[in-house]
Amino acid sequence: MTSKHKIIFQPEGKRGEFEEGTTILDAAREVGVDIEAICGGKLTCGKCQVIIEQGMENLSPVTDDEKRLLDKRKAGKNYRLACVTKFYGDVVVYVPEESRGGEQIILKEGVELSVAINPAVKKYYLELPKPHLKDDLGDFERVLAALKEDYKIENVEIDYEVLKKMPDVLRDADWKVTVSIWNDREIIDIQPGYRVEESYGLAVDIGTTTVVGYLTDLRTGKVLAVDSMMNPQVTYGEDVMSRITYAMQYEDGLEKLNEKIVDGLNKILENVCREAGISTDEVSEMTVVGNTGMHHIFLKINPQHIAIAPYVPALHRSHDVKARDLGLNITKGGYVHVLPIEAGWVGADNVAVLIATEPYNQDEMCLVIDIGTNGEIVLGNKEKLVSCSAAAGPALEGAHIKHGMRAATGAIEKIRIDPETLEPEYRTIGNAPPRGICGSGIIDAAAELYRAGIVKKNGRFNLDLDSPRVREVDGNPEYVIAWADETAIGHDIVMTQKDIREIQLAKGAMCAGAHILMKELGVEHVDRVIVAGAFGNYIDKMSALIIGLVPDVPVERIESVGNAAGVGARIALISREKREEANRIARNVEHIKLAVHPSFEKEFSMAMYFPHMDKKRYPGHKEILELRGAE
Amino acid sequence: MDEEKRKDILERLKNGVVEFDEDMVREAAQEALDVGMDALDAIMNGLVAGMEEVGELFDKGEYFVPEVLMCADALYAGLDILKPHVKKEDIKVSGQVVIGVVEGDVHDIGKNLVKMMFEVAGFEVIDLGKDVPLEKFVEESLNANADIVALSAMMTTTMLGMPKVIEMIREKNPNAKILIGGAPVSKESAEKWGADGWAPDATNAVKEAINMVRGLKKEVMGEE
Repeated sequence: MTSKHKIIFQPEGKRGEFEEGTTILDAAREVGVDIEAICGGKLTCGKCQVIIEQGMENLSPVTDDEKRLLDKRKAGKNYRLACVTKFYGDVVVYVPEESRGGEQIILKEGVELSVAINPAVKKYYLELPKPHLKDDLGDFERVLAALKEDYKIENVEIDYEVLKKMPDVLRDADWKVTVSIWNDREIIDIQPGYRVEESYGLAVDIGTTTVVGYLTDLRTGKVLAVDSMMNPQVTYGEDVMSRITYAMQYEDGLEKLNEKIVDGLNKILENVCREAGISTDEVSEMTVVGNTGMHHIFLKINPQHIAIAPYVPALHRSHDVKARDLGLNITKGGYVHVLPIEAGWVGADNVAVLIATEPYNQDEMCLVIDIGTNGEIVLGNKEKLVSCSAAAGPALEGAHIKHGMRAATGAIEKIRIDPETLEPEYRTIGNAPPRGICGSGIIDAAAELYRAGIVKKNGRFNLDLDSPRVREVDGNPEYVIAWADETAIGHDIVMTQKDIREIQLAKGAMCAGAHILMKELGVEHVDRVIVAGAFGNYIDKMSALIIGLVPDVPVERIESVGNAAGVGARIALISREKREEANRIARNVEHIKLAVHPSFEKEFSMAMYFPHMDKKRYPGHKEILELRGAE
Repeated sequence: MDEEKRKDILERLKNGVVEFDEDMVREAAQEALDVGMDALDAIMNGLVAGMEEVGELFDKGEYFVPEVLMCADALYAGLDILKPHVKKEDIKVSGQVVIGVVEGDVHDIGKNLVKMMFEVAGFEVIDLGKDVPLEKFVEESLNANADIVALSAMMTTTMLGMPKVIEMIREKNPNAKILIGGAPVSKESAEKWGADGWAPDATNAVKEAINMVRGLKKEVMGEE
C-alpha cells in the first residue's frame, strides 16, 4: 500500500493529496493549476519548470535529459521540470510566471484589451512506439492512443488529406511527430519532429475597399507579418452594392467575384509567409471578417437576398469551412472560421469590432461607429446593445466630392480657415503640392467653412463675404482651398455647394442613426464614442464634433481605435472563448432598421444641419468652437 | 369674412410652410375654418403657394432636403385640418398617379417628396408605399386607370426590378406614363428600359418632380 502526500501550488495556494510517485504535472492538472507543458512530457520543450519551495528531498532525482533542458533554459537553483519530477513526500511548488499556461496578450494598437490565449488549433508532440509484429495497431489508432496517454485527449477524428500523408510522415520522422488538433476534435495536420512552438494562423479583414491579412503566432497572439491590398473585386464595382448587382446580372458573376478575393487572399498569405520565413502550409487556421456582402461573396453564397428587403443573410452564426473548399492555400486540413453576422448589413466586421472593444462589458454608454459607405453604429453598455446601419454613401471617403481623392500623396488631409481673413492653411500627405482632398480633409473643410461662417448651419454658402475665395461659378457657390498655381493639377481645388450637400447627406445619416439609437435606449447623451475603421485614425475629432458627425460628447471622450475589425479577427484566431462571445453578442444586439424607423425621416432632416437642427442636443457646441478657435 | 382677414390667413399658411413652422400652419388652418373660409382656397392659395415657393428655394439651392422635408411636414399638418372640409365637387384632378418603391427596397424619402409634389400639383396620388411587389404596380395602375406610374429605387440591386415592371405595364396598360427615379437610376437606363421620365437622385428628386409635373401638366393639357 502506498501512502499519500500533500502538494501545494503557489502562488495560487491550490493543494491536493496524491499517491506516491505522481508527477508534479499530473498533480497540477488534477487540482486545476495551469502549467504549460507543450511537449507533453517528452523532455523536448523544457517549458514546465517549477521552483521547489519545500520538500526538495522528496523528489525523484534529476536525470541527464532533465538537466540538459534545465541548463538550456538557464533555470536557476531549485528548478525542476514538472512533467518528469515525481514526488515521494510533501512538497510546496511555486509556478513561475513563464511556466503558467493561459497566457495573456495585451493588444495596444488603438484597442487596449487583454485576451486569454486559447486558440482553436493546438499542437501536440508525440513520440510513438514503433509498430512491430506483436504491436500492429494502425497508425491513426497509434496516434490516438498516444494522445490519450500523454494529453488525455479523446474522441478525435482525422482529416482525410492528413490521413493520406500520415503513414509516410510517421515513418520518415521516425515516429516523432507533431499533430495539430482543431477544436479538440479533428487532426488537421501532422508534421515531422517537434514543431509545437511553430503554430500560425492568418486573420483577415475583407473590406470593400481594402483587404488586410495578419499572420499571427497562435501561441502568443503576436503579429508576425501584415500585408494589405486593394480589394481585387474593385474592377467589378467600387461599392458592395454594385458588386452584388454584378453577381445578380451575370451567371458567372459570383464565381468571378469569389475567385478575385480568393486569389487576393492567397497572395496575402504568400506575402506574409515569405516575410516571416515560413511556408504557407504551416498556417493552420484562418479567421475572416467582413461586411455581410463581402462575407457572402467570400463563402460563394448568393448575396442577392441580403441586398433586397428584408435583407436576410444566409446565416447569422459563425461558420467553419475547410480552407481547401474555398481554394485557400493554408495547410490542407485547415479551417477558415468566419465570424457571425448580427443582422442584415451589420456584419461580421462589426461583430469583430465589438469583441475588440467590448461595449457590452462597460458601465458607460458607448457609441461605436464604423464610418464607411455603409456606416455601422452600435450603442449601449453591459445592460443592452442596439445597432443600426446607416447608408452614408461614399462622400466621407472622397467619392462624389468634386476634388475628393483617396488618402495618397498630395491629398489635403488637414485644413484650418481663419474666420477673420477667410484664408486657409492646409497640410497635404507627404507635403506634396495638393492634388485633391481626402476624407479627413473633407470633414475638416466642412467644419472650418461652417466655423468661419462661409457655410451656414443649413449648409448653404454665405455669398455676402468679402473674399476672392468665396465665389460663384455658373450659379454654384464654392470656396477655393488652393489656387491653381499651388496645386499639382493645374487648377483651383475647391469645395462646392454640392460637395457640402453630399457631406450633409452622409453625416446626416450617421448622426440620425446615432440619435435614433439613443432614443431607443432612452438616453440623452453618450459617455464615450469609439470610432473604428482605419479612417477613424485620421479624422479630426473636433471637426467631427463641429459638423455633428457624432453626437455631442466631450472631445476627449472620442477614441479612435483603428482597424478594430482586423483586431477582432486576430482575437478570434487566438481565443475560442471570444468566438463564443461573438456568437452570443451577434444574437443579442437588437437591430434597428433605420429606413423603416418612424422617426428616421425627421431625424435625418434635422441631423443634416451643422451640427444639428435641434441645438439642445449639442450643448457643448459653443465650447468646442471656442476650443478650436484657441488652437 | 373680409379680404384682409383672408389675406392674413393665406400669408400665415404660406409662411408657415416656407418656414416649416407646423404650429403656425395648424393655427392658421384652424382659424381659416373658424372664420368660414373656403378650405380649398386656403389649401391652394396658402399651403400650395407656400410649397411652390419652397420648390423655387430648392431650385435656387437655398433649401436642401432637410428644409423641404420639414416644409412637407408643415404642409401636411395644414392639409390634415383643411382637407376634410373641401367640397368634393371642387376637386379638380389633373391626373391619377400610382407611386411606390419597388420590391426589396425600403428607402422612401425620395418617393415621399415626389409624391408630395404630385399632390401639390393637384394629382390624385395612390401611394403603394415601399417594398412593393412588382405585380402590384401593374394591378393598381389598371384598377386606378392611372395616367402615371412612378417607380422609385435607392439600390442598384432593387433597381433591376424596374425594367420588369415597365415591360408588364407596357403590355397591360400601354397608355400610362412611366416615371422612374432614385439614386442608382441613370438617364441611360431609363431610356434603355423605355421609361417616359426619370429623376437622377434623392437630392434632386424635388426639382425633378417639379419638372416632371410641369411637363406632365402641359402634356395632359395638350392632350385635352
